[in-house]
Parts: sequence; structure tokens; C-alpha cells
Amino acid sequence: MTAATTTPAPARPRPAAAGAGLVTLRLLWLELRHNAMAWMLPLAIGLFWFTTYRKDMAMPPLWYLRAAGLQSGAVLDFAIPVAGAAAWMGSREARRRVADQVTITARARWARLLVPWAATTIWALAGYLGCVAVLYGVTAHQASWGGPLWWPAGVAAASLPAFSAFGFVIGTFLPSRFTAPLAAIAAFFTLAISTNLIQGSVSSWSVAPIVTGPWDRGPQAGVATFYPFLPDLSIAQVMLLAGLTVALLGALALPAGSGSRAARVVAAGLTGAGLLAVATAALLTGTGTMDSHGMIRIPALHDAASDQPLQFTPVCSDTAIPVCLNPAYASYLPATADALAPLLSQLAGLPGAPARIVQVSTTYSQDAGNGVTTRTSGSRASGPRSAIPLMLPDQFPGAGTLTPGQMASQVFAAYGPEIMARVIGDGPAASQAQNTVAAALLLAANQRGLTTGQSSAQQGGGLDASWSPDFAPGTPEYAAAHRFAALPEPARRAWLLRHLAALRAGQITLGQLP
Amino acid sequence: MTGARLVRLYAAGRRVPFAVLAIAACAIGLRIALLGHWDDYGALQLPLIFEAAAAVSVAATVPSPFGEQERVAGGWLPLLRLAVTVALTAAAIGLLSAAGAGGHLAGGVLDAARNVAGITGIGLLCGAVLGGGLSWTGPTGYLVAAIYALYTQWHPPALATPWLWPARPPHDLGGALCAGLVFACGVVVVAVRGARDRPGDPAEM
Repeated sequence: MTAATTTPAPARPRPAAAGAGLVTLRLLWLELRHNAMAWMLPLAIGLFWFTTYRKDMAMPPLWYLRAAGLQSGAVLDFAIPVAGAAAWMGSREARRRVADQVTITARARWARLLVPWAATTIWALAGYLGCVAVLYGVTAHQASWGGPLWWPAGVAAASLPAFSAFGFVIGTFLPSRFTAPLAAIAAFFTLAISTNLIQGSVSSWSVAPIVTGPWDRGPQAGVATFYPFLPDLSIAQVMLLAGLTVALLGALALPAGSGSRAARVVAAGLTGAGLLAVATAALLTGTGTMDSHGMIRIPALHDAASDQPLQFTPVCSDTAIPVCLNPAYASYLPATADALAPLLSQLAGLPGAPARIVQVSTTYSQDAGNGVTTRTSGSRASGPRSAIPLMLPDQFPGAGTLTPGQMASQVFAAYGPEIMARVIGDGPAASQAQNTVAAALLLAANQRGLTTGQSSAQQGGGLDASWSPDFAPGTPEYAAAHRFAALPEPARRAWLLRHLAALRAGQITLGQLP
Repeated sequence: MTGARLVRLYAAGRRVPFAVLAIAACAIGLRIALLGHWDDYGALQLPLIFEAAAAVSVAATVPSPFGEQERVAGGWLPLLRLAVTVALTAAAIGLLSAAGAGGHLAGGVLDAARNVAGITGIGLLCGAVLGGGLSWTGPTGYLVAAIYALYTQWHPPALATPWLWPARPPHDLGGALCAGLVFACGVVVVAVRGARDRPGDPAEM
């Protein structure tokens, strides 16, 4: 008896690290099976389909447009379900009145709380990654060139742990039946109000994860097509979201009783570091400017290698004068070539006719007052003199989604007079005969009437097209233009080959036109 | 006297005073928001967010903390549910309208009334189907869809279905009918059946 009482009890074996890991994994598995976010996934995925997928699919299959739409849309779609579900999970112990029971368990409160947060985040990420896979998969099938942009997808992914932490912390500290809905709406409200505070193209508020570029311009089709995608803003956004997540999760351990003193000190340090990252990200974004390619450049995060143009082999039409587009716009080539072909076939081979029409990028510049001006890029226009730079209507801000027919009409209206002026020399200072021949050729191309002079400014694009003549019915110019347009194409070409030099020199009168 | 005590106990059990506070906070928030100068998006979206927040506060009062016992013993329960839900919705509409008085509340009182009633109806129906604790899922999801519908007013093709009533003009009959129908259905279902009791959440706080 005595021996029994004096014999020291055998030391309880300390759990091996692998065993502790297994216990954590088992706990995580239990949380995954009972997590509210699993039941929120249909809502999140439904919202994603309704507001993001449908909108993205209505856009041209250009990677930047699809990726920007994915980031903005997915963040908004998942914010409410994730924040709400996390708040619901965070308030679980209080809601089920088991806080006292779990407080006396061996595991520290902080470590215990991180598991349901992780489970909520894992479910949210799983749903989100499924959405990304579908959207990017369909885009890969449709796009003719380029590849997925992962930074925008990464920003949206990084927002999920942050929203989860936001909801979870609120649910933990303020448990009530009102917590989950109000946390969900607060998350959405924060996103909505952050973009309303952006003035102009760039501000510190652009660090909000639904912003993908200069805010007041919206995603532009030509961005990240001729030049690489600039990840500067995305890096700042990921920094903000990671900092927010760490700060919020650290805050879980700050109350007394959440863990050991050392753990609380570490948590306080993490919270401070997280807040520092948040402030740094916002400040860095505030130093950003819009670069000439329509993306936000943040000097401290910028990689100069991103300024080099992308290498690509243009796709060209087999028209009399080739029309060459960026391969990302290959699906636009038939409509563009069809729009210009009737005109190009009349001008090919004439002195001054361009050898090619080449698509170029848009150049953006930030004006005073944070406004933005767009113009044709000079980089490719400075190439061979015989190439005419072309910008598709989609490359201009506010162009919207155009049908092939609308785009063809706009391309012809914008570039037909310009190409014509280059060959015929028509314009305000030109002779009556020059303007009449130009109008006749346009008429013959069956693309525009004599009295529908449209400047490119009316297209909303700001292109620098030439003046085009307007003739009233009954005037000599009107009759001469119709007469010239009625000639067979070989006869018109033969006359132009013989008389173009004299016509451009102003030596041909209206009466001398056939 | 007994009736008043019954109403007071019912209101306390459903956290009605907190709901009134939350609705008042929404009204104050809306008033503060209206002091700012918002773009077209903000002018329409921010009021809708506050309206949705007020609506989920009303719907959050539906769950019962007593469950089966109350349902068996409470003969006046359907009337209490009906009266409190309608009164809270009316209070939300009144407070939000008062907050918008003199400000630039997009859509005005009619818009606020329609949106609050309709979104509350969604919350009540969700409470009856999913359980009181999850009554917020429908209204908050609907909020995202409605915000998107408002967005499409600037970015065609516009979503014009009256079921997305926040994107319809304030005097639109179709939107008002849809919102009213949803609210009526929600009130009736909740008054008759109450929120669904979920075995895992026996005690709603």
C-alpha cells in the first residue's frame, strides 16, 4: 500500500507533433462538416452566375476584360455570404451557450477559434476556385490569344480570408441574432462606399479589392493586350487584404484568457504588423498614377520589365490591302476586313495607298483634375510610312459591347475618310473634284451616303479622321459623285491611275470627271 | 394589462428593442450618407443598403427562443407575430423616410417603403424555410442582385423584371405588386407557422 502511494506516477507522454497535427486536422474536418459556409455556397455561386458570369460572358473574349470582371464581381458576390457565414460561426459558442464548457478544454481559445475560421475560409475558397475554373476555362476556349491573368483572380481569393476574418471577429465579440446579417451588410457597405470615395482615376481608395484599374474609366478592352498586365495595384490589394486578415485574427487573441501571455504578445504583434501592412498598402496606392497603357503604376512596386511591349504575330486579312490585328482580336478580323474591303480594293496599288492597316494600342494620359485622355499609340504609327494605324472601337473608353455590324460601321466611318484622304488628298483645302472623287469612292464602297458626314468624334472615340464632304442633292458635286460612282470599278481604277497625280495637284475640274 | 405584459415579454424574447435600435441606427446612417455628395451609383445604392439592413433587422426578430413549448402554449402567438412584424416594418419605413426627409433620397418615400417591405418579406420567407437564424441569407443575397440590377440601368442590357423591384422606378406598379406580394406572403407564413426551428440552434440570442 505504502509502496503504491510512494511510487511516482509515470509521466504522461507528451503528444508528438505529428499527433497534434492529426488532432488539428480532425478538428478541422469536424468543422468543415458542420460549417455554415457550405450552405452558403449555393447562394454565392448563384450570385456569381447572375452578376459576374453572365456579365463577363457578354464581353469580348479578352483576358483582361474577363479577369477584371471576375475580380470585381467575385469580391462583391462572395463578400456577403462569407462575412455572414463567418459571423454565424464566430457567434456559435455564445449562441449555443457552450462558451463555458469549451473554455475549460486543453486547447487555447485562440487556437480553437482559428479552426472554424479556417473551415469557413476553405469552403469559400473552394467555391470561388470552382467559379474561377469555369469562367477561365470558358474564356480559354473562346480567346484567340493570351492566357489567364492570375493577379486579379488572386486578389479576389485573398479577399475571402479577409471577409471571413471580419465576420468571424464580429461574431465572436458581438454574438447575437443580429450579428451575422449586419456583419454581412457591413462588409458589402464597406466595399460600396470605398469606391464612391474614389475621385478621378486613382486614389488611396483604389486599394479596395473590387477596383481593377483607373476607376472612372472602368476596364478597357485594349489594356494588357499590347503590353503586359501591371500587377502593381494587385500587389497593394493583396498586401491590404493579408494585413487585414492577420490583424483581425490577431485581435481574436487579445482578450484575457484567449491564450498564454506569450501567445497574446505574439497576437498583439501580428495585429500591429497587419495594421501596418494595411496602412502601407493604402499609402502606396495613393502614390499610383495611370500609366500610358491604362493601368495603375505604383512606383515602389513597379517592375520596369512590365513596360516592354508584348511580342506577337499579327493576324492579317487577305484583302487587297491587308488589315492586321493583334491576335487577341482575331475574332474581329472578318468584320473589320469586310468593312474596309470595298474601299481598299479600289485604292490598292494607287500612289499613296497604304501597304497595310495595322492595329495599334491606345495611349492613355492623365490630365489635370484626374481626367483621362486617350489617343492612338505612336509606337507603331512611327513604323513604315505605308502602314496606317488602326484602333478598333472597343479600344476606346465607353465603347460598350458592339455587334460585329456596329463595329464594322464604326470602323468604316472612322477610317474610310482617313484612308481616302491619304490617297485622294480630299479635305477642306482640296479642290471640288478631289472631294467629289473621294465621296464617289466612298459611295461606291456602299458604306456611306453622300450626306452622312460623320466625324469620328461622334463615335465617341476621338480618332483623328479626315474631314468628309457633304453634298446636297441637286448640286453639281452630288451629280458628279453619283456619276463617278456608277462607273465600273476597272474604269474608275484606270481613270485614277491616269489622273490621280493631276487630281491631287488640283488640276482636274469637276467637269473633267467621267 | 395581461395583454400588454404578453406583448412586452414577446418583444423582449424576440429582441425587438435591439431591432428598433438597429433600425434607428440604419436611419441615422442613411441621414449621414445623404449629407455626402455621391455619384449616380452611390445615390441609389447606399439607400438600398440601409433599407436592406433595416429589413434584415426586422426579419431577425422572427426566431423564437422557446421553440416547441411556446408554440404549444401560446394561443396568441400568430397575432403577436403578425402585429410585431408589421409594426417593425412600418417603423423601419417611417424612420428611413424621416431620415430622407429634406435630403436627396433617391426614389423618395415610395421607393423606401417598397424596398423595405419587399426585402423584409424575403427575410420572413427565409426564416420560415431555412430557420430564423439564417433569415438574413435571402435579403442579403437579394441586395447583391438588386445592386447589380441598378448597375445595369447604366450598363445595358438593363434588367427590367419587376421581381428586382429596387431597379424599377418608384411609381412602377409591377415592382410594387411584387414587393407587396412577397411581404404579404412572408407575413402570413411567419404569423401562421413562425420561423422554422433548427435542432442545432435551440436558443436564439
